[in-house]
Amino acid sequence: MPDTMTFYGQDYGSRILLGTARYESPVLLLEAIETAQPALLTVALRKQIQGGSQAGQSFWSILRSANRPLLPNTAGCNSAKEAVNTALMAREAFETDLIKLEVIGDEANLQPDPFGLLEAAAYLVKRGFKVLPYCTEDLILCRRLLDVGCEVLMPWAAPIGTGQGPRNPKALRELRDRLPDVPLIVDAGLGLPSHACQVMEWGFDGILVNTAVSRAIDPVRMAMAFAGAVQAGRGGFLAGPMPVQEFAVPSTPDIGRPFWDEAHRFMPQEIA
Amino acid sequence: MTIPDVAIVGGGLLGRLLAWRAALGGLRVTLYDANDRQGNEATAWVAGGMVTPQAEAVDAEPELVAMGRRSLSLWPVWLSALPTAVHYSDTGTLLVWQRSDAGEGRRFEAMLRARDTQASYERLDAQQLTAKEPALENRFREALYLPGEAHVDNRQLLPALADALDALGVECHWNRRVEDTERPEARLVIDCRGKSAKSRWKELRGVRGELVRLHAPGIDLKHMVRLLHSRYSIYLISRPGGNLVVGATAIESDDCSPVSVRGALELLSAAYAVLPEISEARILELDCDCRPALPDNRPAIRYSPEARLLEVNGLYRHGFLLSPAIVEEVLTVLPQFLHNPGSTLGASPRWPSLGAREGVFACH
Repeated sequence: MPDTMTFYGQDYGSRILLGTARYESPVLLLEAIETAQPALLTVALRKQIQGGSQAGQSFWSILRSANRPLLPNTAGCNSAKEAVNTALMAREAFETDLIKLEVIGDEANLQPDPFGLLEAAAYLVKRGFKVLPYCTEDLILCRRLLDVGCEVLMPWAAPIGTGQGPRNPKALRELRDRLPDVPLIVDAGLGLPSHACQVMEWGFDGILVNTAVSRAIDPVRMAMAFAGAVQAGRGGFLAGPMPVQEFAVPSTPDIGRPFWDEAHRFMPQEIA
Repeated sequence: MTIPDVAIVGGGLLGRLLAWRAALGGLRVTLYDANDRQGNEATAWVAGGMVTPQAEAVDAEPELVAMGRRSLSLWPVWLSALPTAVHYSDTGTLLVWQRSDAGEGRRFEAMLRARDTQASYERLDAQQLTAKEPALENRFREALYLPGEAHVDNRQLLPALADALDALGVECHWNRRVEDTERPEARLVIDCRGKSAKSRWKELRGVRGELVRLHAPGIDLKHMVRLLHSRYSIYLISRPGGNLVVGATAIESDDCSPVSVRGALELLSAAYAVLPEISEARILELDCDCRPALPDNRPAIRYSPEARLLEVNGLYRHGFLLSPAIVEEVLTVLPQFLHNPGSTLGASPRWPSLGAREGVFACH
């Protein structure tokens, strides 16, 4: 059976979501897409809306040429109302019910506003949107988002664009344990392939990256590195990691080594 | 009356510069532009006029950096041949960043080294920075200095080029729009209309750029200053008369409507972070225009033998950085098309990537 990521009734063969901002050129972005083979491409439209329905079309038609489903987001929205309005326009512009919902609570670190997020999510789900909320790793917030009808959650690893990797690993892993059946996609703050690999090993369903790829010196190569890391991490999770041991356990028998049965004599007292 | 050798349609920066250099080279040239000789509808009117190949290396491929270097050597020579003086300063660029953005400085260095084999820059500490640019005294702990980079006063240049065309007797048709269906009489037509040529370049898109012009008579920056930041890239340039240009945003949008509140906030707060003294400066203008860009954000030249039409477009944010190098290249290939209109444009001789590129634009 193929290993797919599933939410809102749709199966995705890839576990990467790729952001489309801040590439040096659209051509470079298309190459990164081709390399990473993402499940979805996120696209912002907050800055284009005011300019009329045609303002962003040139860029969006380039994105469409990549033949990947588009996931519009509400990046840059600071209130539930603004996010809802942006979502409504996104549905019209991109002809999709999918919306990556961002309601920013702090301009400096772009941290999600959990209260505005919940309010906007509830409203949008009622109007038929398939909401992917960008949230913190707070368990109660995540539960409330599920309660209002979100089928997938996007907890952060670290603030947007910081590339710090998981800032609060224990809470992220606890969230994974407490919501075992909910698709969880780690969004924001991943900077290195190893960060992606790590969260995939922990059993997260997917990751979203943007600046980690677009702002790399060689974005296409970084896209490939992330794709490999996600695959490796997912493989590690599915394969079932061995239990961690306190002490060295030889993988080959010691019988035959000189003095094998006297090894304990050389062990420091406190360990033995 | 003999027909002109070349009719140039579109008298923005590139069209004017090309018309002037072609006429200087002895060709009979006519120029058509939908607006007036002042040039205040041109994309180049809303610009910093920067010729900063090294500073652009973070956003442009090595060949563009090399073209920028070529332009940097051509600008002072060409400007000195103009009948009207145009302010030009080549004191270089200072790159600064706030403490929390130290990674941006490292990234810039890595990009520059990867893309510009001739890169030459200096690392400055706070003291050296203060010595070089007293206006930034004690504001930044470190900086990079890119010597030799220049800026041209765009708003002096456009009318100065119109004067130069007059002086050479070039027939200029200002306020005369040439429709897509129309072909001015000439042996060869060169289309330099930028974003107005969208109907002929289906891949052409606008990248919205916003900038602010301030009157800040007490502030005289000796260098261009660029603030590296994880989200924005903002520059400050002093202009004659105590003015200061702060630019520029880059938004994927064909919308050229006035500057947004967010754009103004981003520009002004970045400028304020660099120079708190601007708080009492006066806002002269908030300007916006869309730069014409091809999907790889590189310029392109193409030629249609049937139409005897040469087209140049896609200068994106790099009009001042690239125009002289492109004009030089166009003048190199021009004789071939004048003598043998049926020939095709192969790889561009000096800058191969100016020619056809698969998937970036359709060739005729």
